[in-house]
Amino acid sequence: MFVLITGAAGGLGRAFAVECAKRGYDLYLTDINDAGLALLKRGITGAYPVRVITRGCDLTKGDEVEALFDDVRQYGITFDMLLNVAGGDLEGGFYDRGADNLVKIVQVNVETALRVTRQVLDHRTPNGPLYIVFVSSLASFYPMPLKATYAASKTFLREFACALRQELRGQGVKILTLCPGGLMTTPEAASGIAAQGFWGDMTTNPLERMTRRTINRVLKDRSLYVPGFVNRLFRFAGALVPKPVVARLLHARWQSAQKEWLKI
Amino acid sequence: MKTVIVTGATSGIGFAVCEALLGAGCRVIGIGRTGERAAEALEKLRRSFPAADCTFYHGDLMLTSDVRRLAAELRRDLDERCGGRLDALVLNAGCVRSWYMTTPEGFEQQFALNHLSGFLLTSELLPHLTAGRGMVLITSSQSHKMMKVNWDDIFFQKRYRPLMAYKQSKLCNMLFARALNDRYADKGIRAYGIDPGLVHTEIGCKNTGGIVNFVWERRKKHGVDPSVPAQIYAGLITRETRPYGLYFGIRGEAPCSRQVTQENADRLFQLSEKLLNIEFGVQKEADTACLS
Repeated sequence: MFVLITGAAGGLGRAFAVECAKRGYDLYLTDINDAGLALLKRGITGAYPVRVITRGCDLTKGDEVEALFDDVRQYGITFDMLLNVAGGDLEGGFYDRGADNLVKIVQVNVETALRVTRQVLDHRTPNGPLYIVFVSSLASFYPMPLKATYAASKTFLREFACALRQELRGQGVKILTLCPGGLMTTPEAASGIAAQGFWGDMTTNPLERMTRRTINRVLKDRSLYVPGFVNRLFRFAGALVPKPVVARLLHARWQSAQKEWLKI
Repeated sequence: MKTVIVTGATSGIGFAVCEALLGAGCRVIGIGRTGERAAEALEKLRRSFPAADCTFYHGDLMLTSDVRRLAAELRRDLDERCGGRLDALVLNAGCVRSWYMTTPEGFEQQFALNHLSGFLLTSELLPHLTAGRGMVLITSSQSHKMMKVNWDDIFFQKRYRPLMAYKQSKLCNMLFARALNDRYADKGIRAYGIDPGLVHTEIGCKNTGGIVNFVWERRKKHGVDPSVPAQIYAGLITRETRPYGLYFGIRGEAPCSRQVTQENADRLFQLSEKLLNIEFGVQKEADTACLS
């Protein structure tokens, strides 16, 4: 099993990389952060007997993605699994951010996933299944004031993945969408979750368990994984309440959480 | 004058150890995570001990690249000012995490900081420790008892239990102390695990959430002031002779867990070497590709 992980040097990408290495899968790791990839490679090869290939790449640039897959072709690598982890948000409301930054959010969340997924279909292991995971978010189920661009881009991913799954079903492609709540990936994320208080803790998913179950589920050809009981509850509650009301409630919550967070 | 390196020196037990050592006339080199905190701690120490010889370095010990860089700086400093001798290394930096979090290398953070960072730093400073017939003091804890090393799942990836991961890292401290004595006692190095007891520090409230924070907020109030356990460290370092024994608390030597066996110690030693891809005591040239 050869796994391609995008955004591998970030907190979630690392957890996925370690989980796959533990299962004995070979890894092809890519991220914009070259130094982080080198460190992760050293750690994983020390701990697990798997092949690790790393390559720094800005996945929002079409030509860099082309070059990456030219390399892949040259080395004769074929993939059995793709984890689309690359993505993120820049803090601040719509009006506080420049247009370039707003577009950047859509680029890293949507564009990278489209580019890489399309390429991987050309570089899949022949005659075997291809497993693809899209990392969406619990935010994808709601309109999210103060995270509007981010949440909408994650909604794109979720809806897109669901449709693509049907489209490629006959060709042995299995697609799962992961919609996590908060994740303890970085010190900033940790302080952000701490600022949300009780509900921050309740909606946070343990990384080690979530990554393991995500892989288990995509192997079983599930379509959607919302980890955590409270998160599933929130998802259904959100579907019952009209969207403008949800937006008003979430706005109030984020405003107070951000105030708390900036104080720290 | 004795030269002592203290990690985690900007607050809690580490800071108190610096105070005690400076009071006893040692030369202290402290290590803190960030430049600001290191400068702050140095200023506070200078105010209490204006004539003392105290310097600070900073780096994030969770990153092996930072440990290697720090070690290179420390070696240079030791060569220049102390004739290449190190009398004691206090491995005190530690953390508590309430969630599974990984370092850039993909290691679980409590294991990485509480055990691996100290392992690597000792390895990097081994020639200087040998030259100074030095002592290695590792901040362990009573919590290392009633615990076994989870060899099959050393990072607790099956289900992360914060307290178990912490207890394991403290047991690893004892095993490392034991392994050092087994290997280097004949070269004059002695290693001890220290039981500071329950101390009033912020360890459980730094970026932890939920239950860990809640429990430690209440529990720390019953702890003693960090200056109390600091006396154990200062006592051992300034003593003329080195005691046998492995585990020291405020009342002197104490029995440690039965899990601290040569077999386990060797196993952990080899695992740590493998994880870090090093041969203990052999310093490789800094890997420039990994310096961020």
